[in-house]
Order: sequence, then C-alpha cells, then structure tokens
Amino acid sequence: MKKVLVVDDAVFMRMAIKNILEKNDFEVIGEAGNGVEAVEQYKALKPDIVTMDITMPEMTGLEALQQITDFDSNANVVMVSAMGQDSMVRESIIYGAKSFILKPFKEDHVVKTLNQVLAV
Amino acid sequence: MSDQYTNEPLLDMFLFETSQLIEQLEQSVLISEQENCFTEDAINEIFRIMHTIKGSAAMMMFDNIASLAHAMEDLFFYLRKENPKEIDCSAISDLVLEGVDFIKNEVNKIQNNDLVDGNSDTLINKINECLNNLKQINITSLNETISLDETIPLNEIKPIDKTDVLNDLYIAKGTKYNNEFKAIIHFDDDCEMENIHAFSVINKLKKITSEFSYIPADIIDCDESIEVIRNEGFQIYLKSDESYENISNFFMRTIFLKELELVQFKNEDEQKPSCKNNQVLAQKCPIKLANAGDTVKIKNEQIEKETSSSTAQQSIISVNVAKLDKLMDLVGEMVIAETMVLRNPDLQGLELSNFKKSANQLTKITTEIQDIVMSVRMVPLSITFNKMHRIVRDMCKKLDKEVQLEIIGSETEVDKNIIEHISDPLMHLVRNAIDHGIDTDEERQQKGKPIAGVVTLEAKNVGSDVLIIVKDDGMGLNRSKILKKAKENNLIYKDEDDMSDNEVFNLILLPGFSTNDKVTEFSGRGVGMDVVAKNIESVGGTVSIESIEDKGTTITMKIPLTLAIIDGMNIKIGDSCYTIPTMSIKEFFKPNEDDIFTDPDGNEMIMVRGQCYQIRRLHEMYKANVSTTDFSDGILIMVEQNDKIACLFADELLGQQQVVVKSLPKYIQSFKKTKGLAGCTLLGDGSISLILDVSNIFSF
Repeated sequence: MKKVLVVDDAVFMRMAIKNILEKNDFEVIGEAGNGVEAVEQYKALKPDIVTMDITMPEMTGLEALQQITDFDSNANVVMVSAMGQDSMVRESIIYGAKSFILKPFKEDHVVKTLNQVLAV
Repeated sequence: MSDQYTNEPLLDMFLFETSQLIEQLEQSVLISEQENCFTEDAINEIFRIMHTIKGSAAMMMFDNIASLAHAMEDLFFYLRKENPKEIDCSAISDLVLEGVDFIKNEVNKIQNNDLVDGNSDTLINKINECLNNLKQINITSLNETISLDETIPLNEIKPIDKTDVLNDLYIAKGTKYNNEFKAIIHFDDDCEMENIHAFSVINKLKKITSEFSYIPADIIDCDESIEVIRNEGFQIYLKSDESYENISNFFMRTIFLKELELVQFKNEDEQKPSCKNNQVLAQKCPIKLANAGDTVKIKNEQIEKETSSSTAQQSIISVNVAKLDKLMDLVGEMVIAETMVLRNPDLQGLELSNFKKSANQLTKITTEIQDIVMSVRMVPLSITFNKMHRIVRDMCKKLDKEVQLEIIGSETEVDKNIIEHISDPLMHLVRNAIDHGIDTDEERQQKGKPIAGVVTLEAKNVGSDVLIIVKDDGMGLNRSKILKKAKENNLIYKDEDDMSDNEVFNLILLPGFSTNDKVTEFSGRGVGMDVVAKNIESVGGTVSIESIEDKGTTITMKIPLTLAIIDGMNIKIGDSCYTIPTMSIKEFFKPNEDDIFTDPDGNEMIMVRGQCYQIRRLHEMYKANVSTTDFSDGILIMVEQNDKIACLFADELLGQQQVVVKSLPKYIQSFKKTKGLAGCTLLGDGSISLILDVSNIFSF
C-alpha cells in the first residue's frame, strides 16, 4: 500500500482527505498541522507521497515543500490549494511540487492525481 | 443539499472545527474592536480562519457559508496585503460579527438537521462594497511591488535584450541543438486548470532544453488559455539534442496526459510557424519566472516574520461526548458492582483478612478511575464566560450604556453536562444586569458612580460545589417594587414584614414575575429568571440573590460538582432503606428525651448546644412501618442545606457507601410526585435505597 503524509492545518480537511485515501488503497502513515511538523514527519516517516496544504500557520506549504525537496529531491509532494491561489500553485511547481489538487476536491480526482504522480 | 450528510464523523468534525474557529474569530474581532485597530496578527488570524472555513464548507457543499467566507477572506486578504492606514474599524467589526452570526445560525441548522437555507448574498454585497471603498480610499502604488498576479498586456512586450538574465537560467549560450520537435499534449477531460498543468510541463522542459516555444503562449495570466488547451491541445515547439524516444518518454510522464502527438522535424523540412510574438512571449516567460523568484523570496521573509497565533500544539484529542457519557455510566455501574461484591451477604461473618486487603486495593483503583473519568469530563468555564463579551458589546450598543465585563476565575472547571445548562442562564443574567441593573450614564453621573458600569462574572470552587456569581454595580433591587408586583400576581405566601430581604429578592425567581412594564427585545416577559432557576435546579444547584439599593446586585449560582456519584449514609426507617448525602450531614446522635419539646405550632423541636432545631420524623414523612416511634430507640441526624438545619429521625444507621445516583424511573415520577427524593440507588445486597433530597425536606 502506498504511504501518504497528509498535511493541513484544518483537522476537518485532514479527515476528509484521509477518508478518501483509505478507501482507495492508500495508507495514511502520518498527519501534520503545519509546515514545521510536515518537514519533521517527512524526515521521520519517509512517505511515498505527501498532500500539502498551501496556507498554514507557523510555516506555509511552500516553505515546507522547499525544505522537503532540499532533503529529498525526489519527494512526491502534491499541493492542496483553494480556488484562486493559482500563483501559489505555480510557485510550488517551480519549487518541485509534482502536481496539485484544488479544494473542494472530488474523490476520483484526488486518487487519480496521487496515482499518476506515483506512477512517474 | 449535500450527499455527504451520510458521512457523520466528517460532518461532526466540520461542525466542531467550524464552531471552534467561529468562537475564536468572534473573540479576536471583539478585542480588535475594543482597541480600535486591527493588528497584523489579528488580520492574519481572521484571514486564515475564513480561508479554512471556506475550504471546509465548500467540501461539505454548504455553499452559502463558503461564499460568505470567501468574501470575508478577500477583504482580509486585501487588508493583509495592502495594510491600508484609513480603515473604519468599527464598521469592519460589525461586518465580521454579522458574518459570524450568519455562520453560527447555519451551523445550528445543520446540527438540528434543518434546511441550511440562509441567504448570505446581502451580507456578501456589503462586504464587497466595503472592500471596494477601501480600495478607492487607499490607492497604493502597486507598481513598486512586482506581484505574480500582475497581467502584462500583449502590446507592452518589448524585444528582449536582457541576455544576461537568460544566461542565468539557460544552460549554455548559443547552443545549437540538432533536433527539432513538435509536441501536442491533450490533457484528460476532467483534469481542470489545464494552464497550470501546462505550466508544469514547461517548468520541467526548461531543464532539458533552452529553446522552445508554445501555444497558447500565455499560460499564466490568461484563463482563456484553459479553453484553448482543452480544444486544441497544448502545442510545444522545441529543439534538443535528445533522441525522439527520450523526448517522447519525457512527455509521456506528464500528469493527466490523455494523448501525445510528437513529431520530429527533419532539418529544413517543415516550417514551424514563425510567429514573432510567440517567440518573444516564450522568452518573456523566463523573465517572469525570474521575477517570480524574487517575489517569492520577499514573501517568504514576510511569512517568517509573521508570528501567528497558532492552535495550541499540546497533545490533545477530541472525544465524542456520547462516549464520555457512556464511560461515566459504566463507572457508575462499576461502583455499584464493586459494592455488591464487597458487601455481599455471602461474605457475612467470614474471616476475610486477605480478601479485605485485595478489596481495599480494588477500591483504591476504582476510586482513581472515578476521579479521572470525572476530570476528563471537566471543561473550564472560560469558553462560556468568553461568550459573554459579545453579549455585553451588543447590549451596550443597543441600550447606549457603557459597561465593562470583568471575568474572574474562568479557569474553574465544571462537568461538560453542566456547561450546557449554565450557558443560557448566564446569558440571561448578564443581559438582565445590563438592562435592569446598570443605571443610565446620567443616573450614574448623578450618583457619583463612574460612567462605565461594571458587570463581574466570577467562578470559584467552594467545597464540592462551584459558585458562579454575576455581579453588577447598578441600581440594585427595589424591595417595595418587588413586593408590589408579587402581590399583584398572588405570589406572596408570608406576611410582608416577616420576609427578609433575601426572601423578597428570591421572589423574582418565581414564574410569571417581572417588574418590567414593557416587554422589550431583551426582557420583560417574566419568563427569564424562573427559567434560570429551573435550569440550575436541574443540575442540582441553587440560585440566591443579594442586593443593595444603588450599589448593585449579586446573583450566585451554586452547583454541585459531581452529579452522579456521591458519598451517602444509609439509614433504616422501618423496613425501608434510605440514603442521605453525607455532605448534608452535620452530625448524628442519640436524642435525649429531655431536650425535646413541642413549639406553639405543634412542631417537635430539639435543643442542641443552645440552638433550637426542628425534628422531622422520616417514618411519618414517608409512611414507613416502624416498630417503635420512641426517640430513644432511634437516631437523630442533623442535616444542613442552604444554611437551614433540621434533625431527621430514623431507626438506625446502616453505614457509609459510595452511592451512584439513579433518577427515579419516569413512570414513577409521572405517576406520583414524591417530595424530598433525589433519586434511588442500589445497595451492596442488591436492595434499593431511596436517596433523600435534603433541600426539599425542609419544604415538606
């Protein structure tokens, strides 16, 4: 089973993503509520893929992404963004995010995106 | 309507989190409003909360909440980005609080399974208007900050001669690539945001070649490019030294790729469309990306500087209250079962020293479990107290009074169950204090009081009770006015002059009482105070009122900490067992016939250490069959409740026991209203004992 680290400061969001992933052959091995935790968890758990919210306190998703890709240049990070944050999504692509999901998201879209990123 | 209603845990989490965030937001805004300014931290906090609520509400398909949150988020995004100097703090606070109320309302509807049909359009329009006004008043020079969202119109493109910049990004200057390719990428139908996916492709492409161009050219700012890509595919022209196969593999790794057409041009074969604009635009992009890099750096620094009031990072989990209730019930059952084992009739007369040791150990552990389960359910009153800020603010605005809310002891904890019963009474008492209690500004000035009235909310632990006190420094209660109203409503049961001030004030707790002649939005219907009293009584508490004319009024609610498990003293009356809560017992003793006499009203009284107390014969009150009614054969138990003391006459004491209070079955309660009973419990031998409600005995 593919191992995922779910990062979002809203517990609700983490729960929603977790629900979708666990129904679709993914194992959520860790959760983080801000960028700092995200980086720590990544280093500790070495997940196959990360879903990363962009807007978070303490450290944003973008910064966490940078630190994670510095640590592991092959890291698979998928940004989770709200509508209207195009510019931040592009920034994250520049910094190494493999793809993105927009909120509110549909189950198939999430699964497809993660699977495609892992397939590459 | 959302078909995710069936996903209960997710909905619960949404409600829980949203409610928490809204409370947080309300507090933040109230503070900002008081200080008449929105600090950077406050703006960030409000922005983030709105952003989160927008996302969650959208996921759960509560679009009215989501769009309202979105509008607020936009407003605060502007405030965050531009930091305008001229803002009307009060107006913005009003708007946000209106939004808070709307969302609270909708969340309530969701919790009650009602239609979530609130219309947020008017409020959204107001917010947008406010935002537009702000933008007009505070036109800043946006030209200085290069923002990623900036659109550069086509006609402004100048020919690029910034070859140095290009050098930074490109691998080598003047590389002559041998192979030319044309690729057309079609993305999956449901992929969405094709322009960003295209951007992703280009981002990867520039790592393998420096010469390329693409159509549509503007995949950053131009949203129409999404349609173009959907209909015609994303066309890329590139030069590289890589083989066809490698280039093909490269493109095949594109996320959401539906179809790839890849053509390799033989030199001089096909002409690729030499659209100058195209070329320039493609080269323009790298510049933009370079700028993007700079802006990103600046933004990152700003973000680092931002100290956010993050959610507390303690080890905390949220637990379903139903589970806690069940746990509490089970602990109660465990205590009963433990008693039934330890006091089993089978064990009578046996030599049990080893057993007793183990029994003690068991008791120790179950007591500890009890204590911890109780503490798990304890919640600080701060949450409830903090809600009062909003009420004070709204009342002050509406009544044009100035009142400060003082809160003391908000860290005091009470059982979660109790919190729910306190919230409404507290709100009512605070409203009363401001509406009736606090005098108007002129009156206060005349009396030499400071203009700002003070309402104090205090909570403290006294013994095994929690005291919650609402105090105001207003006009105080008017004894004669109250007596007059009580007489009109036939509520007086005693001679007026015999009534102490306390008794008079307590009249206002009776149903139907109100000295307000007009019914206002807030009070006057006379249903407030008695509902307060009922609510408090339903959790086993009492309300008492003190007041001094012109100085103020103090209302005290005394609530027992633990509802369900109490220390009880078992007594025997005839064949029946009763239990008295030990905390009500002052002492027991064998009465001396000489000390007993009868007063003029026919009540039996006893003298104890110079004080006179009334005797209540329990066997008479409860019609128990007793073999003897002689005082010398029985025992007197002195009980106290609310400063009243009496002596109860029973046959014998059976012993102390931890007692799990179970309420009387509904069919008994509805069939016959038995006075003076707080519930029932099981004894060690399995028999039933009725628990006496000491406070009610006095009114027998």
